[in-house]
Amino acid sequence: MNRRKTHRATAPRKPFNSAFSRRAFLGGIGGAAALAPFVPLLESEAGVAEFPKRLIVLFSANGTLHENWVPQGGESDFTLSTILAPLEPYRSSLVVLDGLEVIRQGLGDGHQMGMGSLWTGSQLLAGEFMGGDGGSAGYAGHASVDQVVANAIGTETPYKSLEFGVQTGGANVWTRMSYADSNQPLPPEDNPQAMFDRIFGDLDVDPAGIEKLKAERRSVIDLVKGDLESLQSRYGGGDRIKVEKHLDAIRAVETRNEAAVPVCDEPQLDLSMDPFANDNFPVVVQRQIDLMVMAMACDLTRVASLQCSASVSGTLFSWLGQSTGHHDLSHLGDDDPTMIDQITGVNIWYAEQVKYLLDALAAVPEGEGTLLDNTLVVWGNELSRGNSHGNRPVPFVLAGGAGGAMQGGRYLAYDQTPHNRMLVSICQMMGMTDLDTFGDNDPASGGLVGLT
Amino acid sequence: MRIDAVNRWATTGLLAPLGLLAACYTGLPADEGGASDAGGDAGEAASESDGGASEGGDDGPVASCDVPEVGVTSLRRLTRQQYENTVRDLLGYTGEAATGFAPDERVGPFLSNIGAPITEVQVEQYMDAAEDIAAAATQDIGAILPCDPVVVGEDACATELIADLAPRAYRRPLDAAELARLQTVYAEGKAQGGFDNGIRLVVQGLLQSPWFLYHMEFGADGVNDGGVVRLTGHELASRLSYFLWSSMPDDALLAAAAAGELEDHAALADHVDRLLEDPRARETIASFHLQWLGVDEIEGLEKSAEFFPDFTPELALAMRAETAAFASHVVLDGDGMVQTLLGADFTLTEDPDLLALYGIALPPGHVAGEPVPLPVGQRMGLLTHASVLAEHAHVNQTSPVHRGRLVRENLLCQPLPAPPPDVDNVPPSPDPDSTARERFEQHRADPSCAACHSLIDPIGFVFEHYDGVGQWRDLEAGAAVDASGELIATDVDRPLDGALELAQALMESDDVKRCVTRQWFRFAMGRSENDADLCTNEGLETAFVDSGGDIRVLIRELVLSDAFRHRKAEISASYPDNGPTQEDQR
Repeated sequence: MNRRKTHRATAPRKPFNSAFSRRAFLGGIGGAAALAPFVPLLESEAGVAEFPKRLIVLFSANGTLHENWVPQGGESDFTLSTILAPLEPYRSSLVVLDGLEVIRQGLGDGHQMGMGSLWTGSQLLAGEFMGGDGGSAGYAGHASVDQVVANAIGTETPYKSLEFGVQTGGANVWTRMSYADSNQPLPPEDNPQAMFDRIFGDLDVDPAGIEKLKAERRSVIDLVKGDLESLQSRYGGGDRIKVEKHLDAIRAVETRNEAAVPVCDEPQLDLSMDPFANDNFPVVVQRQIDLMVMAMACDLTRVASLQCSASVSGTLFSWLGQSTGHHDLSHLGDDDPTMIDQITGVNIWYAEQVKYLLDALAAVPEGEGTLLDNTLVVWGNELSRGNSHGNRPVPFVLAGGAGGAMQGGRYLAYDQTPHNRMLVSICQMMGMTDLDTFGDNDPASGGLVGLT
Repeated sequence: MRIDAVNRWATTGLLAPLGLLAACYTGLPADEGGASDAGGDAGEAASESDGGASEGGDDGPVASCDVPEVGVTSLRRLTRQQYENTVRDLLGYTGEAATGFAPDERVGPFLSNIGAPITEVQVEQYMDAAEDIAAAATQDIGAILPCDPVVVGEDACATELIADLAPRAYRRPLDAAELARLQTVYAEGKAQGGFDNGIRLVVQGLLQSPWFLYHMEFGADGVNDGGVVRLTGHELASRLSYFLWSSMPDDALLAAAAAGELEDHAALADHVDRLLEDPRARETIASFHLQWLGVDEIEGLEKSAEFFPDFTPELALAMRAETAAFASHVVLDGDGMVQTLLGADFTLTEDPDLLALYGIALPPGHVAGEPVPLPVGQRMGLLTHASVLAEHAHVNQTSPVHRGRLVRENLLCQPLPAPPPDVDNVPPSPDPDSTARERFEQHRADPSCAACHSLIDPIGFVFEHYDGVGQWRDLEAGAAVDASGELIATDVDRPLDGALELAQALMESDDVKRCVTRQWFRFAMGRSENDADLCTNEGLETAFVDSGGDIRVLIRELVLSDAFRHRKAEISASYPDNGPTQEDQR
């Protein structure tokens, strides 16, 4: 069924009001710097010896067509297939991983486990979301790899991580891929305008106004923290966790309120489209990518994710001339020419969006190299194949330099290897060299053999 | 693009999923397990999302009902609608305050934030909203003040405001220490920018406090150790107003709470009647029905322009408005009977496009808001509303499976598992030479499909006279529509021809009344029922069935029930660990 998600009317961008400027957390530097041309912060800092690593996690749904996805040839002398062909210009920064399995055990059906275990490598909790076998499942019971990495490398930036979405839908196990902790999904922001307002806000505000805003927020935060702290001891179990997580969240906002933040000039982007209309899906994807790259270039965050739709995605790829929704298409038979043609088409399109991201990253200079050299991009899917709801081989593609940790230009074929190993490798490539297991679905230790 | 609605409104199966339904999944013949028996098998239904120990059961639940038994009520956060309604009633703010908030969770089909803790981004969303609302509310400072600062002095007036506003914002009295902390916020705000600024900052703080954002319930003893405790008057007032108004209690209800009047069942019932007469109840009654039938987000529905060129967002809104108006009219203005909801020969709409879709015209002399007669033999009650038929269909054709599933899951409370992972489950392409029934033949022919689909498709086929946007059709693929079907595994099993016969059967069904009871329970409590709620639910079912299906009786009995007036906290000792903490991950 094809439909457009809506939050009633999209809120228009609120007019700037100097007395009540919203998310402007400028510190110290003052108004003049806000007028400076948009330059990546790190480029402008003198004496920076080394650029930090970044992680970007990308999601698309409903599996792929392995026969049109898998490269041909050997580890270094491979040929990219139809679906991945758009990434040819970045071949030397690419690692295609074939043969990985997203282990499924415990509660939930294929789509639920596929989504919930994708970046957590762990089982789902008991919960309300009705799945297969008459049982039900809740959210995932473990933090996702982007958040584990964010906890390690995200503490120096204003935002530990940023979660971007495109028409991701409601709040349940099918629509959440990023988890701060067990049973703590992070909602993606589907509205580029809202994300813009959040992270760039109203940048041309006078320093006195900023000080007043911060002081007032400090008062309110103190009030709220006090309330939450007194409530902690009155609750037990999951309710206490809710209070504690709220307290953690407000403390994070408090820290950001107190910190001096890098100055970025306001990016000029047209964000006026309705982000929830199906036919705007492509432009929303690209605007979110733009915002993500700008946020990283300005060191507002070093970890981000982009979730395009959600598991069981019903996106209608009308701009590709298709007239059946993605999920329905993905369930056509193996020999159905429409399925072969259109599912391939959908995945080629997604590969083109990944290229758009790589282009954007490669366009940001960082020292002798680029932001792409310092980033690890991971593109994954909830399923291996749509019509079988399969969990192996789930297609994963890595891209970027990861600050020197990634050896690109390779096609690695595994044999039913748990993707937990890849999650370990991701952490290790991002500098967490002591970490050697990830998630509760696979007790083995170590990263993907041959990857690093 | 929204995910398939199939997943969105999946319900939990806590009302006696019949043995045969579990068997349906494993492919056993559908007639194993016998007729429905709603009461006895609830024990095997336990998908206890709260994880706490259930009361009273060694061999499954035995409801003694002598002492109050209540399922665990986890901490819930205001939904977006509740947030907007509350700031409207507290401060007169009429903007779409919650538009930018992360989506709400659901319990079954009903919106309720009971699952996961909130995150940083949500704290920021609340902060943004609070700043905007506080600014708007204090633009004309006199509108919010209970005193004149010029007359009594600024600080004294601030104290008065806090004493007046904070208990309404927190929905309970505050003690001196709490009031003092708010006074500090005022003082700090005043230091930054004067009296008005101080007041604005207080409002900002109130709207971000957990006491505002969550439905805080501790009980009369103030103890939260897993026992069953009676709610305080204020907590009960809050549950009542959020149930019937999706908003905060009014002054009369708060005063009654403070005076201890809500302990008295007669007084409590009077307040139920009083709240139902308020205009805010109309929206909430409508809300229940829209969510129950899975059409509460129909404004986002898209259809194929090739097949349904006349389907527009405006038409979808008109469909939603019709169902909302009809439901609240029947429950609040009419006889309140579920039979009328299912079997009424009238509807409420003046939208020309919707009337055209129905093929009817407004009667001569029609006054806006009055019932409009439906075409005899074609439409009857909620199940033939365009909203229901359009929502539960594909972009380019009908969906007997989705329509059948709606009836099975939401009206009969018989949950169906998702299709096995290895099936090719895509709707057949609309073939102009074959009917939907013919195209879905494989469901009947293939034994691995038939076990479950025999429960679903024969219901869904009775809707085949209504196309993918709910319009009547006599022909499909050139042949007369075959709307024959069958109800099985219910207390009203029979062959059917057309949706009106289905509606007629459901009107006679006690299973449906029991399911409606459960759905109202979930809506009112914001959570799923479990074994410990058996006493309450059996009592409610009996009352509802005995009343002949009077929704107003059900609502009243719900409010007077043990479950509504008590709470049980999670048992700290036995609540399962929610998994490894971040420290455990390295």
